[in-house]
Amino acid sequence: MAAPGQMRVVKKRRPDPRNVTHLVMLAPVLIFVLVIALAPLVFSFVISLTDYRLTDPTQARPFVGLGNYIKAFQDKTVVDTLLNTFLFVAGAVVSQVVLGLALAVLMSGETRFMRTLRSLIILPLSLPPLVVGLTWRALLNVQIGPIAFYLKQLGVDVGRGLLGETHTAMLAVLLIDLWQWTPLLMIIFLAGIKSLPGEIHEAAFVDGASRWQAFVQITLPLLMPVLFIGVLLRTMNAFKIFDVIFVTTGGGPGNATSVLNFHIYKVGLTFFDMGYAAALANILLFMIGVCCAFYILLLHRQQARAGGT
Amino acid sequence: MPARRAENAVRNIAALAVAAFFLLPMVWLFTTAFKLPRDIFNLPPVWLGFEATLDNFGFAFGQTQVMRFVLNSIIITLGTTLASIVLGTLGGYAVARSRLRFISASSYFFLVLLMVPPVAMLLPFYLLMRDFGLLGSYLAVIILDTCYNAPFVVWMMSNYFRALPTEMEEASLVDGATYMESFLRVTLPVAVPGIIASVLYCIIFSWNDFIFALLLTSPATKTVPLVILGQLSTSQSAWGSLAALSVFAVLPVLLIALVLNRYFVQGLTAGATKG
Repeated sequence: MAAPGQMRVVKKRRPDPRNVTHLVMLAPVLIFVLVIALAPLVFSFVISLTDYRLTDPTQARPFVGLGNYIKAFQDKTVVDTLLNTFLFVAGAVVSQVVLGLALAVLMSGETRFMRTLRSLIILPLSLPPLVVGLTWRALLNVQIGPIAFYLKQLGVDVGRGLLGETHTAMLAVLLIDLWQWTPLLMIIFLAGIKSLPGEIHEAAFVDGASRWQAFVQITLPLLMPVLFIGVLLRTMNAFKIFDVIFVTTGGGPGNATSVLNFHIYKVGLTFFDMGYAAALANILLFMIGVCCAFYILLLHRQQARAGGT
Repeated sequence: MPARRAENAVRNIAALAVAAFFLLPMVWLFTTAFKLPRDIFNLPPVWLGFEATLDNFGFAFGQTQVMRFVLNSIIITLGTTLASIVLGTLGGYAVARSRLRFISASSYFFLVLLMVPPVAMLLPFYLLMRDFGLLGSYLAVIILDTCYNAPFVVWMMSNYFRALPTEMEEASLVDGATYMESFLRVTLPVAVPGIIASVLYCIIFSWNDFIFALLLTSPATKTVPLVILGQLSTSQSAWGSLAALSVFAVLPVLLIALVLNRYFVQGLTAGATKG
């Protein structure tokens, strides 16, 4: 009886059935995604080189070369928006990863009480971001919102509300995003903590390490793989924020919360300037591509270190 | 050990405070759905002990076609989930097991796709769908939703498959099964928790999707999130019916999330933890 491996040696000219099977399994999703994702992206590159206005009745698309890209870097709104995007992504990822880790440690107990709280805390992540945005918009509203009311009771001057003041609007959006997504990080990190062998800590305590030392020097390095997954997931999604901004601030006040994903939508579908919107989208893609390349490099090294599969 | 007990008490109180932060906004939403207009924005807020009413639900569902929009959401969610799971599970397995560099490296390609901002894809996709006359069809939304969900499933399932031991598969191959049979009969059944997790995420993403539906649906194929937003432009009872519709939209997913909550991390962390 020949094992599959030996068969391959005998029939050298036939392709390995293993590879054929894997190709057949990968082909549907790969082809689907290539067609559906790349077609719009190529199309987007083409229209970014033209002056394409949806409102133009003649639908002429004069070629303008890199005009839209040059315009983008001279456009103060775009520069602000780029800065906001970085601010939001960095702020969201850092605050949520730190808080998520803290919560995972705080709530890692296996009592019935903690387990119940944990399963309740993750509920926000199943809500539509749109509903989350609307809820917080009401909660923070100066005239009618409970949170604004309690803040006023405490003597805080809320002005036009957290979402309405230029210097707090971004913080408010970060708070809303944190509210929805920190629980996801918490459960991911919790899974990481639970998979650590308990003896490691005991050994550290025997050596006289303080709990903080034990955490930083032993637990944290072992948690790197799950921390990395958390950072990756949140970075991917933070670049995509749209719904919450759409219903809470609309990018305002001024441009205080206008992130690129939202601004592109506005340029394309409120100003109908498709060529320019496409150019902005490609700039955003490029930025994300750079982040991506960086992450993938890390991921690759990490998998190589983990023994590679 | 009194110190130990004190620490646990502090922990429990802190955990309770954290839970309050994450739950109170939802409590507000759920109670608002059952409040009379006069109580909704009463200050100080009435958290409990208000006069409960179903008027908001009556008003929300009295609007024309609401059930139609619910059906639209269901169709789009089911279509997306089914397509994403089939495409993604097959692809994920190939990525996890293949010895071909090109196949295993394609996982990075899927990861990159996940990072493409929706708007960058959506605007040109909108124009293409308009030219093909597919604007306002279920298919347009399902295709674009699947384009984001399938790569996610590939990524999750490939992590999951990688973490599974391969002895059983190899044994079935020795017994004469083809590679496809071994996948279908041996591996797939033990990968069910990972698939449940993937289904969970697909349902959440497509049921909650707002931006794709905003652009790609027509008044006849609108989904629930759009109807929720639309409440803001209705009469004085806006927030009540908005909350009522939100509760209705949230409840099925919330129940699924509660029942399946242990699956949330399956697949996401499968390669990164030993558990």
